[in-house]
Amino acid sequence: MDLSVKDIYRPLTFDEAVAAFSDEPSMLPIAGGTDISVQMRAGKFAGAHLLDLSGVLPRSISADGGFIEIGAGATMDEIADSGPLRSVCPALCQAARKVGAWPIQCRATLGGNLANASPAADTAPPLLVADALVVAAGQGGLRNIEAEDFFAGPGENTLKPGELIHSIRLPVTDPPSFSRFTKLGWQREQIISVVSLSISLHLNDQGLVTKAAAALGAVAATPKRAPSVEAVLVGHSLDPAAISRAVEAVQNDITPIDDIRAPAWYRRVAAATLVERMLEEASGA
Amino acid sequence: MPETIIIHLTINGTGRSFRTPPGRRLLDLIRDDAGQTGTKEGCGAGECGACTVLLDGLPIPSCLVLAASCEGHEITTVEGLVHDGSPHAVQEAMVETGGVQCGFCTPGVIMTSVALLENSIDDREEQGRRLAGNLCRCTGYEKIFHALEVAGTTDD
Ligand SMILES: Cc1cc2nc3c(=O)[nH]c(=O)nc-3n(C[C@H](O)[C@H](O)[C@H](O)COP(=O)(O)OP(=O)(O)OC[C@H]3O[C@@H](n4cnc5c(N)ncnc54)[C@H](O)[C@@H]3O)c2cc1C
Ligand code: FES
Ligand code: FES
Repeated sequence: MDLSVKDIYRPLTFDEAVAAFSDEPSMLPIAGGTDISVQMRAGKFAGAHLLDLSGVLPRSISADGGFIEIGAGATMDEIADSGPLRSVCPALCQAARKVGAWPIQCRATLGGNLANASPAADTAPPLLVADALVVAAGQGGLRNIEAEDFFAGPGENTLKPGELIHSIRLPVTDPPSFSRFTKLGWQREQIISVVSLSISLHLNDQGLVTKAAAALGAVAATPKRAPSVEAVLVGHSLDPAAISRAVEAVQNDITPIDDIRAPAWYRRVAAATLVERMLEEASGA
Repeated sequence: MPETIIIHLTINGTGRSFRTPPGRRLLDLIRDDAGQTGTKEGCGAGECGACTVLLDGLPIPSCLVLAASCEGHEITTVEGLVHDGSPHAVQEAMVETGGVQCGFCTPGVIMTSVALLENSIDDREEQGRRLAGNLCRCTGYEKIFHALEVAGTTDD
C-alpha cells in the first residue's frame, strides 16, 4: 500500500537539500527509510512532505587530518566493511553489523540511526566512546556537535530546525588497544537492543589501563557514557577486583525503565553481565 | 488524490519510467506497476525478508524503500535472474536440494543468496548471519544452506 505522502522533494545536491530544509523545516527528511517507513506505515506523519536525502548525502568514509569522516549517508554495510574504521574503531563496525539484518544494513544510514535518537541506536555507544562529533549542516554552514550533546531524550536530538546531519567525525590520533561493541536482545540476530555496551581501553606495557571509555544503550533516556565505570578502571590492571568494581559501578551510570522489551531490573542485571564479560575478554582471561 | 511524480529506474536490465503517487513503495512499484509479482510482501515492516530485491547489487527490503528514492538506480528481482531461459545457479540449487517448500520466502531468500555469492561471502556461519533476515516457516533452513553450498560450487 502507498504510504501517505503528499509530496516528495528530490534535490540534486546536498546543498539544495540544506537550502530547501532551511526554508521549510516542516519537511520530513528520509534517508534509507528503514525507520521512517515503518512509522509512516503505522499511521504517523500522514500527508508528509518528504525531503529525499537518499541520493545526495555525503557517503564516503575518508581520513581527514586527525579524523575519519563518515558521510551521513554511509550505510551500516559500508561501515561494517570499512578498512580504515576496522583498524581504528572496530566497535563501530561491530555495531553496524548488528543493526537489523543484512538487507536493512545495506539500506540503513548512519545519519538516520543517529537522527532517530533511539535510546537503543546501536551505533551510538561506539560513537560516544570514541568522542565523535556529529557535523550538522544548516543555513549558516557546518557546526560540530559533541556526540554526548547530540541526544536529548527518546526520539529527540539537538539538531536545530532546518539542520541535517552532514557527517560524523571520529578523532583517530590515538587509537585504543581494545575496542568492542556487544548487544543483548531477545533473539541472537536482527533485534532491537535490550542493553548494548561499548568499551574502549588504552593499556600500557604493564597492562595498566591508562584511558577508559564506556557507553551503554537502552538503559536510560538516551544512549550514554558510563563515567563511573571509566573512573574505577583507570590506573588499574584488569584483575578480577577491578572488574568487579566496574560491574558494581555501572549501576550508578544507568537509569533503566520497564518497557515492552524488558523490565528495569533485568536491564540492570544484563548491563552488569555485559560489562563483566567484556572486561574479562579485554583482560585475556 | 495526491500529485503524481515520474520515476526512472532500471528493472532487470530494462530502463523504465513510471508515473506514481509520491508515497509508492518500491515493492508496490515492482509488483503493481512493473507487473513483476515474483517479489512477495510478508510483514511489510522490514522483518521477514520476503520482499528482498537487489538495489545496485545489494539486498534491500523493498517494503521500506520508497520508489521515488530509487531514481536512476538498478533493481534486480527474482525474474531478472533468468538468462536465456536458464535459471540462476541458486534457483537450480534450491529446486535440487528441496530448499523450496511453500515458496513464499523463496524469492527473498534467493536474492540474498545471490548477493552472498556475488560478494564472495562463502563462510557458512557468516552466510547464516546474513540470511537471518529472511525468515522461512517451512524448511528449517538446512536445505537452504545446502542450496547455497551447491550453488557456490557451480556458480562460476
Ligand atoms: C526490522 C528492523 C530492525 C532494526 N534493527 C535495528 C537495530 O538492531 N539497531 C538499530 O539501531 N536500529 C535498528 N532499526 C532501525 C533503523 O533501521 C536504523 O535506525 C537505521 O539506521 C535508520 O537509518 P535510515 O537511513 O533508514 O533512516 P530513515 O528511516 O531514513 O530516517 C530516520 C530518521 O532520521 C531522520 N534523518 C535521516 N537522515 C537524516 C540526516 N542526514 N539528517 C537529519 N535527519 C535525518 C529522518 O527524518 C527520520 O526521522 C531497525 C529497523 C527495522 C525495520
Ligand atoms: S515484507 Fe518486507 S521485510 Fe517483510
Ligand atoms: S518455504 Fe515456506 S516460508 Fe520458506
